[in-house]
Amino acid sequence: MMSGRKLWWSVLVVVTVFYAIPMVAMTRFAFQRVPVIKLSWSNVFDKWTVAPIGETFADPNFRSSALLSIGLSVATAVLTVLLLVPTMALAHLRSPRVRRWIEVSAVLPFVVPAIALVVGFAGAFRGTAPLFIRNPYGMVPLLVITALPFTHRTIENGLSSIDLRTLVDASRSLGAGWNRTIWTVVAPNIRGSIATATFLAITVVLGEFTIASLLLKNTLPLYLAYAQGQNPQGAFAVGLVLTAISASLIGITNGIGRRSRR
Amino acid sequence: MAGLSKRQARPLVFLPYFAFLAVFLVWPALYVFRSAFERSGAPRSPMIEAVTGQYRGSFVYSLQLSFASAAIGVLVGSLVAIAVVQLDSIRGVRSALVGYSSVAANMGGIPLAFAFLAAFGMQGLATRLLREINVDLVGWGFKITDFWGIVLVYLYFQIPLMTLILVPALDGLRRTWHEAAQSLGASAPQYWRLVAFPILLPALLGGFLLLVSNSFAAYATAFALSSGSSRLVPVQIRFFLQGETITGKTNLGYAMAAWMVLITALLVVGFQALVRRSERWRR
Amino acid sequence: MNRSLAFLSVTKSFGKTLALDHFSVEVAEGELVSLLGPSGCGKSTALRVAAGFENPDSGDVMVGESSVLGSPANERGMGLVFQNYSLFPHLNVRENLEFGLRVRRSSAAVRRARVTELLELVRLSGLDDRLPHQLSGGQQQRVALARALAVEPRVLLLDEPLSALDATVRVEVRDEIRRIQRGSGIATLFVTHDQDEALAISDRVCVMRSRRVEQVGTPRAVYRYPATPFVARFVGRVNDLAVVVRGVGIVALRGSTSGFPVPQSGPSSGDARLLLRPEDVRVVGLSDDALARGRVEAVHFGGATTSVDVLLTPSNQTVRSTDATRNVRCEVGEEVGVVFDTERALLTREP
Repeated sequence: MMSGRKLWWSVLVVVTVFYAIPMVAMTRFAFQRVPVIKLSWSNVFDKWTVAPIGETFADPNFRSSALLSIGLSVATAVLTVLLLVPTMALAHLRSPRVRRWIEVSAVLPFVVPAIALVVGFAGAFRGTAPLFIRNPYGMVPLLVITALPFTHRTIENGLSSIDLRTLVDASRSLGAGWNRTIWTVVAPNIRGSIATATFLAITVVLGEFTIASLLLKNTLPLYLAYAQGQNPQGAFAVGLVLTAISASLIGITNGIGRRSRR
Repeated sequence: MAGLSKRQARPLVFLPYFAFLAVFLVWPALYVFRSAFERSGAPRSPMIEAVTGQYRGSFVYSLQLSFASAAIGVLVGSLVAIAVVQLDSIRGVRSALVGYSSVAANMGGIPLAFAFLAAFGMQGLATRLLREINVDLVGWGFKITDFWGIVLVYLYFQIPLMTLILVPALDGLRRTWHEAAQSLGASAPQYWRLVAFPILLPALLGGFLLLVSNSFAAYATAFALSSGSSRLVPVQIRFFLQGETITGKTNLGYAMAAWMVLITALLVVGFQALVRRSERWRR
Repeated sequence: MNRSLAFLSVTKSFGKTLALDHFSVEVAEGELVSLLGPSGCGKSTALRVAAGFENPDSGDVMVGESSVLGSPANERGMGLVFQNYSLFPHLNVRENLEFGLRVRRSSAAVRRARVTELLELVRLSGLDDRLPHQLSGGQQQRVALARALAVEPRVLLLDEPLSALDATVRVEVRDEIRRIQRGSGIATLFVTHDQDEALAISDRVCVMRSRRVEQVGTPRAVYRYPATPFVARFVGRVNDLAVVVRGVGIVALRGSTSGFPVPQSGPSSGDARLLLRPEDVRVVGLSDDALARGRVEAVHFGGATTSVDVLLTPSNQTVRSTDATRNVRCEVGEEVGVVFDTERALLTREP
């Protein structure tokens, strides 16, 4: 089957090249101050610099958008955990029916694409609760929902893999209240899942563009889209960094997943 | 068992979660549908207008793009998945590829558009390199912002998504089935036709549906590539509903959004049904 | 003699690991031979070589008069049943059963008739519409057996078909397999690590260890006349007593001075181990003539048989006696004597 093997290797090589080209191009564009037209084999290694990142960081717009994105990520992650862990733990313990409903409901965000969700949200809340639209942090509930299918599955896996009933019964029999039980007994035992859910939420929010775009909130991806015109190299450089961060976060979650399976 | 089991029926404790979903997911969706049916003076319901009038082209374009990127994505993604499984014995191949796929499948949006502009745009690196070997993309009229350009960009996350779906399905293809088929006299093509392919079909079809809906809903990449003026449905919706511009077509925008939800719902339900059926087989 | 199976000095390595070492055994037409041994002994490898999923480094596998090594796995005409996941999950019982016939392009009428016949054979008529996941483990294996028989193979290969089943179901299915195999007269190779199974249904048992054959014989021969200490210990229960060899054919229990006769083979001096079946140990009263004395440590009531564990003094080791005569009336703590029947005992230095 030797020729068979070569065939599959070539498939992988071709695909890897396809995956690499855009990243390489983006890196080159961001960090090399040589326009493509003037590029030739002789000056391939010239004028590489990380200055574009510095230039971007100097822009106050960038700083405020980065801060907003980070704040939104953290808020989304926190709200997700606060919302999901107690509810799902309770469902696991008491009602398989509700657990099933939660499972179904966690797929619903796939059914309502972000664009539809945000225009409905804007229309619905404009009249009744405009605060959610004025304040950028009003987006957090929508972001929680966007990340829900992924975060739900993660927490579900975590809760299924521990002996939840025993932990809770033991804690309650020692006199702990429900809240204390959830946060000091259950949560530490699924900390891998909680960490993964957090990272997933952060990744989703850092890359989220649709909602911010329609609500005109200056998050990082939005900043990048507009900075493309003014400081393309800087924008591309930051885009690259953003990708690297997201990739690392997902890499870490894969690592957590692999470790817990052992 | 102390305490807990006595208070079996306390549905109220689940209220926060479901209320949250009701307010921030269901209500906006209902609003979209309600607005989509408001006529407010126009001769036809916006829902009908959206798919028959002059904006019909957007839906056709979006669906064509989605099907194209899904079809190619399924094909190439399957090849990659098979390659991963066939080369499983070589250390690191599987974890590298599955790891990378989970990253790439989530990639999208602005950085991805940037990357492809940098590579295949008019001033792109790859464009330039290809010219060195006499492949003139620009001369051929290839533009990253055109149909096939966008398909190419979308493939960047469609292929890994299909790979992630198919690798577990291939893993589930037990060796014993292949050996049983052989012992019963089946040749390799017969095995594939009668056993392997039917067993993989749910994953393949399901993957296709998922990829279609994934592409259909994509907004950021389309937006960035076209600088906000694309024929694709999500960008069109924005055009109608952005800010306070009085286009008089806001209801049309909601109608398009409503159609998006309906189409996506169909695809997702189909996907779930396929997945559930095949999981039942294999327990 | 066209439907017999023979392994002729088959050797197989995987890279640097040896899996089979000059393995030879024959299965006559109509015979059921078990390959019995611990995991890693090579029994599954042997089966896979016969089926065509592995190619041996040297040696031959013959069915009837001709070698099968030249044919690919799908042309060897062998029926195969696996430990689990035998059945195609996407096909119902009927479609599974007729799979081999479809591959051969048999007509629909032929297929239908054969399926009905097979379902009756394994006593599952009426279940032809079910999908595998709707069947119990035992039912699945019976369908798998029927499916293998559908194309009238020359040889039947069963790879631990009962290992994944519950204990009670195991006995049922095992008896079914034997009944059907006897009826069809097909040479059958049955791989297992469970010696109860092997002893219960085989015409001959091939005990394997470390990639080689230790002994081949009828279940009775292998049990009553084990050729090596390994066979004695692996097949059935055996007492493993520390003794000192006093002379040729005479040993004494460790710590004791009175010698007793044993078969003359084996070490002729020094420390050794005596392997003695529990049914060759008899418990007698204190006043009777006994080889050794001790105290009853435990009584195991096994329904048809009763086993008594006696802690021997001054030897300080426990010997088990199994008795089916219902004459045993022992209490824990009672002082008793034991008598050995050493005719079939094995003396060895192997630990």
